[in-house]
Amino acid sequence: MAEIIKLSVFRFDPEKDDKPFMQTYEVPLLKSGMKLLDALNYIKWEIDGTLTYRRSCGEGVCGSDGLNINGVNGLACITPIEGLKQPIHVRPLPSMHVIRDLVVDMDHFFDQYRQIKPWLQSESPMPEHERLQSPEDRERLDGSYECILCGCCTTSCPSWWWNGDRFLGPAALLQANRWIVDSRDEATGERLDQLEDAFRLYRCHQIMNCMEACPKELNPTAAIGHIRRKLLSRKS
Amino acid sequence: MQNRLKEPSGPLSPRLTIYRWHVGMLASIGHRASGLALILFVPIYLWLLRGMTGSEDNFAAVFNWLHSGLGKVSIWLVGISLIYHFCNGIRFIAIDAGWGESRESMRRSARVVFVFTVLVAVLLAVML
Repeated sequence: MAEIIKLSVFRFDPEKDDKPFMQTYEVPLLKSGMKLLDALNYIKWEIDGTLTYRRSCGEGVCGSDGLNINGVNGLACITPIEGLKQPIHVRPLPSMHVIRDLVVDMDHFFDQYRQIKPWLQSESPMPEHERLQSPEDRERLDGSYECILCGCCTTSCPSWWWNGDRFLGPAALLQANRWIVDSRDEATGERLDQLEDAFRLYRCHQIMNCMEACPKELNPTAAIGHIRRKLLSRKS
Repeated sequence: MQNRLKEPSGPLSPRLTIYRWHVGMLASIGHRASGLALILFVPIYLWLLRGMTGSEDNFAAVFNWLHSGLGKVSIWLVGISLIYHFCNGIRFIAIDAGWGESRESMRRSARVVFVFTVLVAVLLAVML
């Protein structure tokens, strides 16, 4: 007799439900090292096919299955069942418009990512081969380039909950910093101009939920601090 | 934005009511709360001072209140707010300057501030 895992899952079907509710499920522990996504898949395939959620790679690379798990954001595919208090409360990413069940509208999140112009901007003519970077300069991108844009950090941030229409949020700001520190990018001035705003950047109150939530163990709070210092050093 | 195709609809997923409190979140909210308490204390303090200097009777009344249970608890709470806000303020300035910015340092410094505040709170309670 397999051990039973108890889950309490957020449900909402806009065509049937007036408001969201929590539904309980019981899933057998299939194997040691079983992840939360395995349990959700079991529910969908064996118990209740109407449960809706996003997932793709299943190994923490694509960033599709960011969820609120027992009150903390994380990726279902790399969160072990073992160590989670039961019943495991599974909810969509916080402060997002729910499309159905665990699927939320990510448009605004990606729109904010687009606002920081996440591509290399350079005036100098294209070299014959690739744009070179010293190993030291490349190393400065460590801690930024690993971001998979899952949205766990941004949707964990109370400042973003209250002011998400104007505050860019940790994920977009981590990415902004990634281009500011890139030795090949030549638009640092314009990037800083865009960020120097009471809301876009300075709504961060160092609550640090972002770094606690990040499944890649990055530190958006530190990235925001770096942008602030960059702005300060530009002034003096 | 020009890229928005549709107005968002659907209920907002739960946030503050369900999010687990980490030490950093406690430290940040505590900073706002203690700051607010200190700002509100200033006019009350001035009002008490003014009352004290009005007449001998007023002085006695304020004196008695400050040494009553409620008065002592008030002073204790303001004292805790002050020491917490001061220590955590230094922590924030240090982090702003780029010191102790690693994930572990950020957590540890918050814990240190909390432990120190509790110690001072106990000391203050004994002294009052």
